[in-house]
Amino acid sequence: MIYLPIAEMPVNVALVLLVSGAVGFVSGLVGVGGGFIMTPSLIFLGVPAPVAVATGASHVAATCFSGIMTQTRRKAVDWRMGILLSIGGIVGSASGVALFERLLRLGQLDLIISLLYLLLLAGVGWLMAAESYAVWRGRTLRGVSILRRPARTVAHTLPLRMPFPRSGLYISVIPPLTLGFAIGALAAIMGVGGGFILIPAMIYLLRMPTNVVIGTSLFQVLIVASLVVILQSTATQTVDLVLAALLMTGGVIGAQFGARIGAGLKNEHIRGLLGLILLAASVKFLFDIVIPPDEPYVLGGGLW
Amino acid sequence: MKRFFAAFALLLLIAPARAQDPADIAGDLPAAVVEEQITVSSDYRGSYITVFGVNPDRRGRGDIVVVVRGPNESTVVMRKRNVYGLWINGDPVRFAEAPSFFAVLSNRPLRQIASPESIWRYQLDPAASAQLASAVPGGGDPSAYRRALVRLRHAEGLYQWYIGQPTQERRGGLTMYQGGLFRAVVRLPANAPIAQYHADTYLFRDGRLISSQRIPVTISRVGIERRIHDLATTQSFLYGVVTVLLALFSGWVAALLFRRT
Repeated sequence: MIYLPIAEMPVNVALVLLVSGAVGFVSGLVGVGGGFIMTPSLIFLGVPAPVAVATGASHVAATCFSGIMTQTRRKAVDWRMGILLSIGGIVGSASGVALFERLLRLGQLDLIISLLYLLLLAGVGWLMAAESYAVWRGRTLRGVSILRRPARTVAHTLPLRMPFPRSGLYISVIPPLTLGFAIGALAAIMGVGGGFILIPAMIYLLRMPTNVVIGTSLFQVLIVASLVVILQSTATQTVDLVLAALLMTGGVIGAQFGARIGAGLKNEHIRGLLGLILLAASVKFLFDIVIPPDEPYVLGGGLW
Repeated sequence: MKRFFAAFALLLLIAPARAQDPADIAGDLPAAVVEEQITVSSDYRGSYITVFGVNPDRRGRGDIVVVVRGPNESTVVMRKRNVYGLWINGDPVRFAEAPSFFAVLSNRPLRQIASPESIWRYQLDPAASAQLASAVPGGGDPSAYRRALVRLRHAEGLYQWYIGQPTQERRGGLTMYQGGLFRAVVRLPANAPIAQYHADTYLFRDGRLISSQRIPVTISRVGIERRIHDLATTQSFLYGVVTVLLALFSGWVAALLFRRT
């Protein structure tokens, strides 16, 4: 047991390491950042939702940095695009933290976090499960196939176009800035990296080649997650350093093992399983806000 | 303002002018705490506050009440409302002052020891210490909010009440010994706020307060817990930067350790 100085609660060290290791393992296995699994796991462990979100962002930063080191060696980062996405992300996360603080004072933060996670986990879980089911049935789901990129998107028609040599694109700066903003806001409110939204958007909306997508998204998520940690520390003081250290330790080790084992397994099986787990978790969040509460009153506001 | 006073008077029935601190602690009851300083370090899992005292009455007449109080804080209680099938938090009611921790121990039920007026006056009940600061929205019942506050805090272990001796299941309680000696033990859960507490002891006879005593108990962080908390609150920007650097460092170490050859 160790006492967390900011969450003001004792936690079982072995349990937190085990959970963060398991989350890291799953994220490495599937190739996702893991923020959207880590934060709800912490909430289930009893960590107050604001602390779970703010501290989860530090775990995202650690995993991203670990991943980006491999990607830069492969020259798989479109720096120009990454910087544009990051500018949007910086503005987005600053707005997100301001909103987070406002909701915290209004006493609605826990509810909003539950609601967003419900939508997110159900959505991502459904997509993953449906995709792997389709692959298992021997079909490729239309629209999910990476080979079928649309020829022209809104990114090519908007004004303020500029070249992105590494991606081989000549597109407007508005979609990357907007996308970065949305991911940044999401990161601040939910403690997620946002890679699972960013990556499909980069492929389908910006038409970026897949070989630079992962590296560039890692770069943007790293910048945004680091900024969220600093902003949350300053604005809401909900980042718990001790908890962060435990998460990083478990998370990065788990992710490395997951990535190794994942290389030798069938992708659609893993994704299908994860999709089902996420759906189950979303049902838990759903119950929390739909079932009539036994206790109609809640404490709020003054605690933080 | 009128609504507030109406609600307040309705709730209290009597509305005495109350100071922030419980009134009239004379300081003439011999009592002491075992630990005046409770430290919170990384292995903290809660603690116990033990109060000893002696009934000054030679024949041992009277009843003992011991109250351990945390600092008063502003608190909001909300009621869940159903909006389009979702239960959302609504109808907030603010308490200007509510004890962050409150434990009351007595040798027999409090209502047999002191009159309702005395219970309110000396704030021997957590509800008596909570002061409503805003009107209750939608014509709701203010005392329901007050009861909810007490119930929720009780569920968190922050409001406690013990009648008589400790049992085998719980260590908290009030034990009376020969010669007027008494011992009160209160469980301080890990989620109790880290702050300055007070252990107040009261001697009642025939429903009247005879003598009382107040002893401060300080709960404070020490060692690494203190340094981290101080950094987070006073140097919060630096704290954020440190956390990010820690994240980058652990990511870097992991990438190095597991580098594929």
